[in-house]
Amino acid sequence: MKRRFDILRLRVRSLFRRGRVERDLDKELAFHLAQQTEENIARGMSPRAARDTARRALGGYTQIQEECRDMRRTNFIETLAADVRYALRSLRRTPAFTAIVVLTLALSIGANSAIFSAIQGVLLRPLPYPQPDRLVRFYFQSDTQPKFPLNPNDFLDFRQRNGAFESVGAISRRDVQLSGAGEPVMLTSFRVSAGYFHTLGLSPARGREFDAGDERHGQGRSAILSDRLWRTRFSADPAILGRTITLDQEPFAVVGIMPPGAVHPGNNFHAVADGENVDVWCPFDFGDDPNDRGSHYLDGFGRLKPGVSLEQANADLAAVLAQIVREHPGEKGWRVYAEPLFQETVGRTRNMLLMLLGSVALLLLIACVNAANLLLARAGARVREIAVRSALGAGRSRIVRQLLTESLALALAGGALGALLSVGGVRVLVACLPAGFPRASEIHLNAAVFAFTLGVAMLTGMLFGLAPALTASRADLQTSLSGRGTTGGSRQSRLRGALVVGETALACVLLISAGLLLHSFANLLRADPGYRPQQVLTASIALPREQYRDEAKCVAFYQELLARLQNAPGVTAAGAGSDLPWTGYDGNADGYGIEGRPENYQTMARYHIASPDYFRALGIPLVRGHFLGDRDTTNSAPVVVINEAMAKRYWPGEDAVGKRISFADHPQEKDWIRIVGVVRDVKDQPDSTWVRPAFWMAQTQDVQRALYVAVRFTSAPSEAAAEFRRTVRALNPDLALSDVRFMQQIADEAFSGQRFALFLVALFAGLALALATFGIYGVISYSVSRRMPEFGLRMALGARPWDLMRAIVGRGVALAAVGTAMGLIAAIAFGRLLASLLYGVRPSDPITLAAVAAVALTTAAIACYLPARRAAGADPLRSLRSE
Amino acid sequence: MSKPSDLIYGTLDLLILNTLVIEPQHGWAIAKRIQQVSNEVLQVSQGALYPALHRLEQQGWIRADWKVTEGGRDAKVYTLTRAGRVQLQKETEQWNRMSNAVGLVVRMAREASA
Repeated sequence: MKRRFDILRLRVRSLFRRGRVERDLDKELAFHLAQQTEENIARGMSPRAARDTARRALGGYTQIQEECRDMRRTNFIETLAADVRYALRSLRRTPAFTAIVVLTLALSIGANSAIFSAIQGVLLRPLPYPQPDRLVRFYFQSDTQPKFPLNPNDFLDFRQRNGAFESVGAISRRDVQLSGAGEPVMLTSFRVSAGYFHTLGLSPARGREFDAGDERHGQGRSAILSDRLWRTRFSADPAILGRTITLDQEPFAVVGIMPPGAVHPGNNFHAVADGENVDVWCPFDFGDDPNDRGSHYLDGFGRLKPGVSLEQANADLAAVLAQIVREHPGEKGWRVYAEPLFQETVGRTRNMLLMLLGSVALLLLIACVNAANLLLARAGARVREIAVRSALGAGRSRIVRQLLTESLALALAGGALGALLSVGGVRVLVACLPAGFPRASEIHLNAAVFAFTLGVAMLTGMLFGLAPALTASRADLQTSLSGRGTTGGSRQSRLRGALVVGETALACVLLISAGLLLHSFANLLRADPGYRPQQVLTASIALPREQYRDEAKCVAFYQELLARLQNAPGVTAAGAGSDLPWTGYDGNADGYGIEGRPENYQTMARYHIASPDYFRALGIPLVRGHFLGDRDTTNSAPVVVINEAMAKRYWPGEDAVGKRISFADHPQEKDWIRIVGVVRDVKDQPDSTWVRPAFWMAQTQDVQRALYVAVRFTSAPSEAAAEFRRTVRALNPDLALSDVRFMQQIADEAFSGQRFALFLVALFAGLALALATFGIYGVISYSVSRRMPEFGLRMALGARPWDLMRAIVGRGVALAAVGTAMGLIAAIAFGRLLASLLYGVRPSDPITLAAVAAVALTTAAIACYLPARRAAGADPLRSLRSE
Repeated sequence: MSKPSDLIYGTLDLLILNTLVIEPQHGWAIAKRIQQVSNEVLQVSQGALYPALHRLEQQGWIRADWKVTEGGRDAKVYTLTRAGRVQLQKETEQWNRMSNAVGLVVRMAREASA
């Protein structure tokens, strides 16, 4: 131990008290000389001869000094310090070069850090639950439904009979209205099974979570508050525990308060993006009829027992489902499967993030190649300096080390600036993230991101510094010193050509990606949405059960509201429906019967509800028949409007209007629902590849408390919104409106993923193109300046300026052409990462490829124009004289 | 042994440590002593001595202090540390093993040729 300490002390001393150590060595050697001289005199030599002999015996004085320094092991650091000082001095001498390299590196390193911070927050960091790798989601699945929620009674069976899970939990979204605590407000709320928080590994900061008692049918009047709700609405009063609050006009006892950061795990049915945006949780009421297996609306979670694999869990769930199907044949056709929660959460965005990481990595590579190119040019100009240094005895490795120090210094400066840029970059990135991006709140800069930045910067420095350093150190002493050769020769020029080719190829990959995304985005915008989102205001309303006990009251409310809205100034149509286009709604009704078809006829459709003017308000055109009407009531025969996809799929070549469907197993006359109209198709999402069959039940017949209201207006948007609120308040002042948005906003959000990817990739591609252009310009301009005498001679021999220009532009374009060809090939490989983000464009889209090739070659030609003009202006006389 | 100054590589450390077992010495005296004790067979070149001393010091096996000699000069005197003693023992054992082994090989070669 003491020895280690001594060693450390000595090292530190040799490093920081260098002068003292050196003086000591001098003294020691002087002593040695003196002793030896004395002895020599004693042997009878003259004092002078004695001293000379002693000195000879000691050998090379400086060599001993140097070796002793090496022995102290600090030589390395001292040389490094000297190298760094030298590097900084020489970089300061060429500020333009330094600024360009540092800036381009900073931009690309900053972009890398920003994207990496997203990768780290979303893909690398584990979910914020204990032992998150044991958490899974489970779903039903059928031939028509890839991912389907659970039926409550099915869930109870799974909970009771499974052997693979430590615990399971289920949630279902049901927003509630909070009143009696300030303004009435709609809260994001979930009904959850007992033990749901325990399954996730969360526990309330105060109070308790729901137990079997809360779950009992008809009990369930308890609530757990989120930290945010507790603080904003109940002023963080701990005494709220045990008191009652009013949700949907009913009293609920507060039994628990969750700690801050209790993150919602995300769900599918009536989705709320994962993150901390749930306000209140209430117990789920499983009802009292275990045979009620029809409707599916629960999202299931589970925590695997330690050591249980996903396969085992899936087998276990399948076994339970087999029992359920035996007992309840109605559940036939379903499969069940579990998926890791992590995969489920980030699954959709993994491709996009990896694609972005690939793009910024390419950009960084281009910046590296560019820096290498500039360094090579600089090395060309420094040949004499390097030659002088090696003539003075610097070894090749010493020179390489010196040059590498320079490139590392550049890279680290770029990295430091890049880290600064990434601070802003991450903010912009998070602000631009598409709606509902998972784990967006977990994206920020942290030590890991900075470590990544540092690592990238170091690697970058090595990458772009090595080739130029090796080339420069190989320079021929003789020709360099004689002053004739001012360049590193043809080897260097070949290397620079190769770098430009590489740079162009990489830039092409990015350009093609951007081009494909642009093409795809244009396709999306050009596609007919099937409705008109302009000038439509929307909001969601949920009628509290207490105030609106029976269906008639609900129907009356909506009829009155829509009628008043319809008559409001500036409103052309007002409708209500179960959902709005492009919002991810996935209510389904599969397996309905069609009149005159066999019972096992396979059917599927989205299940919607609409008021008569819903379609007019949203601008969904009628294709055949007529819309739903106010006269369709619970007393009249049930009617439905379907979309074209449904009409074409189940009544191809026929008129669907007048046909009848039914949800009953053995339909009586009253169970048949008549199709009265066919409307234009609207896709689930703008980039959906197909349109699902869909139908709309009449809101007056299939009564719901919670509906979306859509109002088409001609007045100014702010006036329309004010009028809307006024009308609702006049009808019921206690009613909370939520999600008040313009349909255009919703439509824009549906494009936000594509827009986000396009924006970033286009940005990176633009930078890449600029860098590549710069690279071509540098190489051509350098070779022109070298060959000016030759051009002069050629002019003297009769070449026209045009010939010279053509030759030079030709060389640049040739380099770019080779690069573009390589880029096109590479882009096809890269395109696979992109495929999932494309709409109506294949990764090998010939139009995009051709356009990018044209852009790359044109830019190359432009980059060559200036140097070419310089060459064309070569003065024959001057070159003749200089030769 | 045509050139008495040739030292088998790696043995200089052993010789220095061995010399310092008896008493602390300065560099010149160490060289002198090795030369004397080996009957002038081993000659330590000063070019190798001082780097070796510095290396041993950096390893923590010897310690250096400035002392005034009888002649009134400042001399850097090296002392064996406890870690140095352990190291000396290790190196001695290794040396013995090596020289035995080399001796064995040489003897066998001689017997075979005889």
